[in-house]
Amino acid sequence: MTDTLTTAPADAPGGPPTVPAWKRAPIAPILGIFVVLCALLTPFALFVPAHLMGDAASAHMRGIESTVTAFSLASVPVAALVWAVTIYSIIGWRHRGSEPPAEEAPPLRGNTVVQVVWLVLSSVLCLFLLIWGLAVLRPTPSAASAGQPLMVEVTGQQWTWSFGYPDNGNATADRLVLPVNQPVQFRVTSKDVIHSFWIVQMGVKVDANPGETTLASVTPDRIGTFDIRCAELCGLYHAYMQTTVQVVSADQFASWVQAQPRATS
Amino acid sequence: MVDTAVAETAIGREPRRRVPRLNVLTGVVCGLILAGAGWGVSSWLLSAGDYGADRVVSITMVCWAVGFLVGVGALAGPIRWLLGRDLSVADEHVLAGKDQGVGRYFRFTTDHKVVGVQYLVLSMTLFGVGGLLAMLIRTQLIRPGARFVSPQTYNTIVGMHGIIMIIGTIIMVSGPFGNFILPIMIGARDMAFPRLNALSFWLICAAVPVLLATFFFGGIPTGWSVYAPLSDQAPAGMDCFLITIIIFAISSGIAGVNITTTAVKMRARGMTWTRTPIFVFGTVSSVALGVIAFPMFMAAMVLEGLNRTTGTVFYDAAHGGSAWLYAHLFWLMGHPEVYVILLPAFAAVLELTPVFARKPLFSFLGAVTGIAGIIGLSMFVWAHHMFISGWAPALDGPFMLTTELISIPTGLLILVLLGTLWRGTVWMRLPVMATFAMLWNFIIGGITGIYLSDVPVDQAMHGSMFVTAHFHFTLMGGALTGFAGALAYWFPKMTGRMLDERLGMIGFWIIQIGFNVTFLGMFAVGLAGQPRRVADYPSLFATGNLVSSIGAYIIGSGALIYLYAVVHSWRHGRRAPGNPWGAKTLEWQVPTPVPLENFTVLPVVTSDFYGYGEGGSAAPTPAPRRIAAPVPSGAAATTQEGGTA
Repeated sequence: MTDTLTTAPADAPGGPPTVPAWKRAPIAPILGIFVVLCALLTPFALFVPAHLMGDAASAHMRGIESTVTAFSLASVPVAALVWAVTIYSIIGWRHRGSEPPAEEAPPLRGNTVVQVVWLVLSSVLCLFLLIWGLAVLRPTPSAASAGQPLMVEVTGQQWTWSFGYPDNGNATADRLVLPVNQPVQFRVTSKDVIHSFWIVQMGVKVDANPGETTLASVTPDRIGTFDIRCAELCGLYHAYMQTTVQVVSADQFASWVQAQPRATS
Repeated sequence: MVDTAVAETAIGREPRRRVPRLNVLTGVVCGLILAGAGWGVSSWLLSAGDYGADRVVSITMVCWAVGFLVGVGALAGPIRWLLGRDLSVADEHVLAGKDQGVGRYFRFTTDHKVVGVQYLVLSMTLFGVGGLLAMLIRTQLIRPGARFVSPQTYNTIVGMHGIIMIIGTIIMVSGPFGNFILPIMIGARDMAFPRLNALSFWLICAAVPVLLATFFFGGIPTGWSVYAPLSDQAPAGMDCFLITIIIFAISSGIAGVNITTTAVKMRARGMTWTRTPIFVFGTVSSVALGVIAFPMFMAAMVLEGLNRTTGTVFYDAAHGGSAWLYAHLFWLMGHPEVYVILLPAFAAVLELTPVFARKPLFSFLGAVTGIAGIIGLSMFVWAHHMFISGWAPALDGPFMLTTELISIPTGLLILVLLGTLWRGTVWMRLPVMATFAMLWNFIIGGITGIYLSDVPVDQAMHGSMFVTAHFHFTLMGGALTGFAGALAYWFPKMTGRMLDERLGMIGFWIIQIGFNVTFLGMFAVGLAGQPRRVADYPSLFATGNLVSSIGAYIIGSGALIYLYAVVHSWRHGRRAPGNPWGAKTLEWQVPTPVPLENFTVLPVVTSDFYGYGEGGSAAPTPAPRRIAAPVPSGAAATTQEGGTA
């Protein structure tokens, strides 16, 4: 017997010549399972992840939620295809018993068309992911043209956050208050170990590194109270290193920040 | 017995007897003695100052490991060589456990089959400990505000669960099956370096008590990623952790070189690369990748050890170091490592699927390309773990690209599995269940990985339970499932008995159901914004966590059933025939129990091993007169007619 790694046509010469290979394969039932799976998974992909992620409080977070929805939708046919073949192989191709099947299955050693189509499709999907990701990542023109962002200094230390407003006479606070619809730039650092500054509903997350300052920007566009959590294990009370951010109107923010103590240095 | 008599006259009675008398007990005694000595001397000389406790603990642990290895007999070969009395053939047979019964499993035994069984028991023990810790984690998180254990203990449990499972899964396929099965599969009589093989196993045995000692020296508050500078604050348990990783890196380096050399140099005549079973490709890629990856972790740990014992500042930004340096070293190991875990398990599933579908592997070349593509790309994706570290935002795009590219070779492997099932006659036995479960779980793990590769989505998901759920779907739903299948597949060859199919099926599917319940619940709380590695959480996440905890208990009970099936079948199972699955690879052509040195006549391979349904037998043609092939252990001319089970 030869070492055949090249494509062997499914209906080899000498086999039954009347029926082409693809007709012998159970295309219809697999397609049926595929359609059913797609019908089940599409509404799931459309609504469930975005619903779980909750109401966004910034355009950036809305972009993230639509990305998750788009990726979920794009993966529905992929998952459905794989699972359709898997499910059919359990139902339609099974052989029960304690002895191996007497008749062995057709020796299909690869199929160039299938492999090429599969590779091209996965490459196209990959390219779609990349372009989509870069597009969401790109700084939005509105944020750039909105003028000077409000600078907020964020300092993590075990196990609390503190905030400084250098644009507002070095006001300091142990909670975060932001004006609505005003671009904000966070300058994040840490006094001890690595923390991660995460405003859940705004899709803002950046590590707070000791000795380094990292940047993150966002424009909160909804008035309300949102969650800040530490997203990097930082020791004993990591779980409790959480606080809230209050997004208020510009007037309320101005009066609040006036009332805060000033940093002495 | 003729051999032994000859040996005694040749080299004298004493040196031959000295080797087998050592065993795990003498190892423990010797290790404890040396550890005590190390502790005494270092507390006398070095315990003063800020770093005293760390110095004493580090030195004690190193002394234990060295003492244990000496006591177990790991250095018998080199010492005899230094004394000018190198081991004779008969000595090598004693070292290989010839005629030593069950005792050889507790000794420094070089027979690859013994080492394989030792690895199997070790990795399953580690899964037991790691799984118990997982149950504790889920018990703590069963409802908000639960104070089952203190936050300090909880953090230690999280880190220990992580590292124990990482070590357990790294060795779970390359260890048992890479040692027991792979040499037979390629038609070799043993590994290329049998003594190094035993050394790699006993090094891990030396490391495990050090790792468990972490619990008694204050634990680790850092998770298994031990990010600096948090690790600088940690109690002396951290020193135990560092020593463990250093020993484990040495062990995996030795094992990797050994398995790679074996597969490259010792394949049977006629076994060209295109006729080499795919499991060999998966295992060799994995261990070779480990040889590149683990030194990074080891270096990171050495530097951290210096920080802790001598006051160096490698990771301290205030003094010119950088915490990002640690993160880079860690993830340069950390991302290849997930493929070190995944690939051999995936390859085992690729190996067993053709046997049960009674079809050739669909596109052998595709499978090899997929494995190679994953290996190549895996070296260039590490910084996707650092998208939000603020390290280099300009590199977000390139690392997003390399990460997403990995989906292409991975997809190719999925295609090979589907193509192999396609129009097959799928024989519904326990091993092939892993194929189905893996196709389900790994699709979920892979797709959620694509979300995380996207930088903006990662800004929302990084450090959340979503990540935890994702990598459990790949490593547990994918790799560990593959291990369960591989165990069921090779169990008859390794133990000589059939695995109880009914209990095994029940256990396997209970694990799978519990697994999906646990981690689908975890995806939900992750999307909703629950950070990972938290000892407590707001009531917002209560439902999802309750679901996860219930699922975890289901996994636990399923695992107990599967474990019972394995242990019970091992002792009382039905005797297995030599080739119960009708498989074509070489390991099924040798008798069960496999005799010492496997083959009386080395096989000659004339085709690949996937010729199901192609007519004719793909069983290799033995070449009766060829016995002078290269054989390790210096046991060249002996042909073993039988062996002990």
